[in-house]
Amino acid sequence: MNKLLTLGIVVGTMSVAACVNLDRSRTLGNPSVSGSVLAIQVCSNCHGVDGNSTSPAIPRLAGQQATYIVNQMKTFRGHERSDPAGQESMWGISRHLTDQQITDLAAYFSKQKAQPNPSADTPQLIAQGKEIFENGIPDQNVIACSACHGPTAQGIEAFPRLANQHADYIVKQLNVFQNTQGRPGTPMEAVTHPLTGAHKAAVAAYLQNFPN
Amino acid sequence: MYSVLKGCGKTAAKLVAIALPVLVASYAPDTLAIPAFARQTGQNCVACHAGGQFPELTPYGRLFKLTGYTIGERNIPISAMAVVTDTMVRSRNDPNPGGFAKGDFPAQNGTPIFNTASIFLAGKVTDNIGGFAQWTVNQYDHLDGGGNWQSNTVSDNADIRYVDRFINANNDVIVGLTFNNNPSVQDVWNSAPAWGFDLVPGSNPAGFPAKPQLGGALAQQVVGLGAYAYWNKTVYAELSVYRTADKFWSFMSQGFDSTDGTRSRLVNNTPYARIALTKEWGAHNFMVGAMAMAPEVYNDPTQPPGSPTTKYRDIGIDAQYQYILDPHTVTAQFSYINERIHYDPSVAGMPGAYDSLMGTASQPLTNTTDRLNLFRAKASYVYRAKYGGSLSYYNLSGSYNSLNQMGIPGDLTAGGLNNSVSSNVTGKPDTVAWIPEVFWIPVQNARVGMQYSMFTKYQGAKNNYDGWGRNAKDNDALFLYVWGAY
Repeated sequence: MNKLLTLGIVVGTMSVAACVNLDRSRTLGNPSVSGSVLAIQVCSNCHGVDGNSTSPAIPRLAGQQATYIVNQMKTFRGHERSDPAGQESMWGISRHLTDQQITDLAAYFSKQKAQPNPSADTPQLIAQGKEIFENGIPDQNVIACSACHGPTAQGIEAFPRLANQHADYIVKQLNVFQNTQGRPGTPMEAVTHPLTGAHKAAVAAYLQNFPN
Repeated sequence: MYSVLKGCGKTAAKLVAIALPVLVASYAPDTLAIPAFARQTGQNCVACHAGGQFPELTPYGRLFKLTGYTIGERNIPISAMAVVTDTMVRSRNDPNPGGFAKGDFPAQNGTPIFNTASIFLAGKVTDNIGGFAQWTVNQYDHLDGGGNWQSNTVSDNADIRYVDRFINANNDVIVGLTFNNNPSVQDVWNSAPAWGFDLVPGSNPAGFPAKPQLGGALAQQVVGLGAYAYWNKTVYAELSVYRTADKFWSFMSQGFDSTDGTRSRLVNNTPYARIALTKEWGAHNFMVGAMAMAPEVYNDPTQPPGSPTTKYRDIGIDAQYQYILDPHTVTAQFSYINERIHYDPSVAGMPGAYDSLMGTASQPLTNTTDRLNLFRAKASYVYRAKYGGSLSYYNLSGSYNSLNQMGIPGDLTAGGLNNSVSSNVTGKPDTVAWIPEVFWIPVQNARVGMQYSMFTKYQGAKNNYDGWGRNAKDNDALFLYVWGAY
């Protein structure tokens, strides 16, 4: 027991000596840690330090609209957004972030440069996606994505940037909008209603391979 | 196999009865039901564990560990783990429970048992310090003189870190110190000996006959301090130094004791080196690595300095591949450890021959050096982080040495506590096993599984490895488990 006590004292002393490291902190419950530090020290683990995540399971944030990131972080924090993948990772990460931290980390990622994200999809599939993105499919009530997300898929304010986003992530989120109540408060539930699996695959392939 | 499976339904019902409290506890409110690290980050277990199959780590889980368990916020740093198991071995030496069944193996064959339970102290301490320490009660640790099972409380794995991370647009360097009690427990890849195989307590009732020093022989018997760096998620390098966990550090090896010979004693501080190269692309990630260690160990840990020692030189190579993209998780690991054993001149090179009539338990050494090779591989698949299966392969081989020859004299059916399960009349440790497994993860912190261990070779032979007609396949075993952590 004496040894445990000694170890406790040693660890305790080290803890006091190295208690706060605000410039390189990974603490999520301390308002003093800036959002940009958290972006680099924590968010980058999955999203990449430049916001260009490697795994298709993780959305790219490089060049993303800051307003959109802020909104999503707040809906994770408030548990309004409950798609499984987001909930499993993001509810916890966001639970005690302050509005200022969220604003700062959103600003950090919005300033990053989106990198090309080429895939092995066929030119035909990408061309089909381009057609849907730019013109929709009027006779099937599929509206053009570009109407809200912009002609270069860069997004605007609350409408997210989609260019170079991972196709797998886009398809899964379209499924969330279409089949669940996991992302309420957007027009996407109605927008995705007429989409078929082939539509989603095509437009997602186009967006991942979006010409820079 | 059929006879083993025949009793499966009955014992499965008992297993459920014992395991139910574990599952119920897993459904308990969050404050009780979520392990300490999950409470700290607020994330689901699947964020850090590939397909939810703890303890295998995802790329994010590896970074969580490499950054010293410091992501998140301080929380209640206590977790618990329990494992309920039921083992049905293909053939016991004595099927008569009134005979020497207690001394036979495995513990409570065919009866569900509360096998082990652990307490963890785990979590973030400061922005730079974090770690975990585990204490485990092995309910069926050993038999006493009266043939009754005795429990043992041991200090299990521990890993405490001081870490910093310097990261910008061009460079990402994680540097850290790790203080731990098991060479490779600090590793973040599951091909490392401490993490990759035989993870469910009691899953292999016959046991594997020999372990390389780097393959777990020193686990929880040493303490080490290491420095490591991970650069641009590409190169990992580590250098650690280990010593016997005695005197002040004996709390890191509780349950093992050099004075009764159960804890290895290293002669000097022993270096351990580790390097790994990693690559991520898309949903895939890959690691290839190497590790080395060269401990010198007293032959008899109860003897004073100057007594005979054995020098080991272990070199290992390993690799891991993962594909993680919901709903699929595919992982594969392999590990190969080559060990050269140099015996003390005072005891090596003696002539010796095994006497089957005597069944001599300890023979003179015939070799001045030995070699031991351990190859292990495992592949797993998990669907929706709920339903999974794996296939493991184990291949231990080594040189002949009469030292390895141990037998049981006399008539095995005469009663008593002796059994010949671990006997070896071949003088070679060669053992080969295939272990298929299926499992179900009903909630994120509980796993229900079934394994079947199939031995094609045991203690150097397919047949009659003990001198009394026991064959390798007699050690085949069906193993059911419920593993919960909260």
